[in-house]
Amino acid sequence: MTKIRLLLAKDLRTLLRSPVLLTALVLYPIIFAALVGLVFRYANDRPRVAFVDLDHLPDTLTVGAQHFDVPRVISEVQGSVELVPLSEREADDQLASGAISAEIVVPRGFASKLRGMVESPRLILKTARGGLSGRVEQQTQALVYALNRRLQDAYIKANLEYVKLILQGGHGTFLGNDFDVVGLDRAAAMLDEIRRTSNDPTVAARAGELATFVRQARLALGASGDSLRATANPIELQIDKNAGRTWLLSAQIQAYALGLTLAFICVLLAAAALAAERDENVVGRLARGLVRLRELVAVKIALAALVAVALGFTIALLFGVLAEAAGVKGGEPWGRLPLLLVGLAVAGAAFGAFGTLVGAISRESRTAVLVGFLAALPLVLLGLVPEGAAGAAWWAGRAFPFSHAVSFFQAALYEGDPWGKLAREGAWLLGLALVFAAAARAGMRRLLA
Amino acid sequence: MSARGVARRYGRIAALAPTNLDIRAGDAIALIGPNGAGKSTLLSILAGALEPSTGSISSGRNGAGPRVGWVPQSPAHYARLSPRENLELFARLEVVPDPSERAERLLRLLDLPDDGRLSAQLSAGNQQRLNLAIALLAGPEVLLLDEPTASLDPRQRRRLWEVAADVRERGGAVVFATQNLEEVDRFATRVVVLLDGALVFDGSLEEFRRAPEADVFA
Repeated sequence: MTKIRLLLAKDLRTLLRSPVLLTALVLYPIIFAALVGLVFRYANDRPRVAFVDLDHLPDTLTVGAQHFDVPRVISEVQGSVELVPLSEREADDQLASGAISAEIVVPRGFASKLRGMVESPRLILKTARGGLSGRVEQQTQALVYALNRRLQDAYIKANLEYVKLILQGGHGTFLGNDFDVVGLDRAAAMLDEIRRTSNDPTVAARAGELATFVRQARLALGASGDSLRATANPIELQIDKNAGRTWLLSAQIQAYALGLTLAFICVLLAAAALAAERDENVVGRLARGLVRLRELVAVKIALAALVAVALGFTIALLFGVLAEAAGVKGGEPWGRLPLLLVGLAVAGAAFGAFGTLVGAISRESRTAVLVGFLAALPLVLLGLVPEGAAGAAWWAGRAFPFSHAVSFFQAALYEGDPWGKLAREGAWLLGLALVFAAAARAGMRRLLA
Repeated sequence: MSARGVARRYGRIAALAPTNLDIRAGDAIALIGPNGAGKSTLLSILAGALEPSTGSISSGRNGAGPRVGWVPQSPAHYARLSPRENLELFARLEVVPDPSERAERLLRLLDLPDDGRLSAQLSAGNQQRLNLAIALLAGPEVLLLDEPTASLDPRQRRRLWEVAADVRERGGAVVFATQNLEEVDRFATRVVVLLDGALVFDGSLEEFRRAPEADVFA
């Protein structure tokens, strides 16, 4: 143990004497966090969708008694997609070339059907296959939902005008036909008058029954306004955008920033540090009984774990301070730090063990750094494959510490009941660390050759 | 210290054929042969830095083994540590009592710079002396030198041979690989010749002078 401590102290001293490497170690996580943030942001960015207006919608559209400023309504509801007005041919060409993700076509007769309020007009959505089509479909549904929400108010108002006409009577228009309606109020008064003035008791009794029915109908129709609104929106969604963290401070960003930073730094550091023992011709000296080869592997793994804890702790502090300064709610940046530190150490060790394997195989540090980078990059990407998307790729990703580390960090920082996940992912990380370390130890003979 | 049938292969290439060598107290063995003859491989195996593919190294002291100091051909120290830091680190790894005092003594003995410069910033000659200093940390009974004078100036060469003589005077032995026949003449008591990985001659300096292997570099 003393020899491991001695060599570890030597490695740390060497590290501190490399200003370029130190600067890279400090800048790397910051750059990674920013890049991860940008990727997340643009992953949620609005796709470009063509807007093909075959019906030549007027600037002002009257539905029921309401007037709509069409360009304004469209600009207000296109939060989920970027609508680009195009002709049908241009839109088809751009969809074929991939310049746009989809096209929304307003067919001829759309406005007249909308004004008629009898038949639902249709919008046509054209998308490409695969890629973003699923997302575009969802976002177009969101767009149509937003349009419907605005139109349903007009529909409800128009229907309530008819209800009012039935209640109060007067002049009305429907499907282009003009008509006069007596109205329930007047009908009730007329029936009361018949009941009072009729000499025929049978007629008076029937007029009384009808007057009672008319009053009941008035009561029922009087409540139809609320009922119509409730039917149109059985469940309303209230959006509170200030309830959680901003995207930059989200749990996912922090966990991925930590995972990516460690995946590269720990792998490259351990790989280069082990191979450097051969570059400096020292491994032979050490192998003469001074240090056992497995101890040398352990030193490099411990170095990676230590650096992981130091860097991860700094990143967590940075996120925590930003969260406090911005006054955002959610998460437990301070109370969960001890759990995070455990995860950083275990994940750093697992990445470091993989790095020692790379270092042992590569034999010299420049090759080790290159091979470490080339190996870590696809393995990290495999770790981003969601479960069920591609079975073999997902399982390959599970054989590298990245996905387990990210999952551990998310659980450690933000989950209410993290223990099950922490135990499972911690066991994965430890298991991978042991397997990689054993393989690195077996490969150490190459360093001595 | 004895090597029995030690050999080393790298894949299909035999760097060293099965070789026997006995090292006795007081020996100053010159290991000679052209480039690629297997000298460094044999020294690395004797030092314990390289495992032989076959054969074994044994000690005449019931397996306890003599303390071996090894000076490889290329400097073998940490470039980003100073000479003092290197010496103290290796002294601690060798479990030498009072590592700081030992480092101090060797810095003075071999006239190594102690001004905080990193080892990577030393001249080739100083790096080679640091190499020797590390080998001397544990007070070796067998000193293995792999072409040790290649980058040393005449004064430092003299110092090196004085150190080697001191090891022998204390009952130890020195094995040195060299391509310099003048050094063989001056410092060797015994000569071992390697050719293409095979030991072709093992005898006294006088026997070597008379043997056809004496013109090994011809």
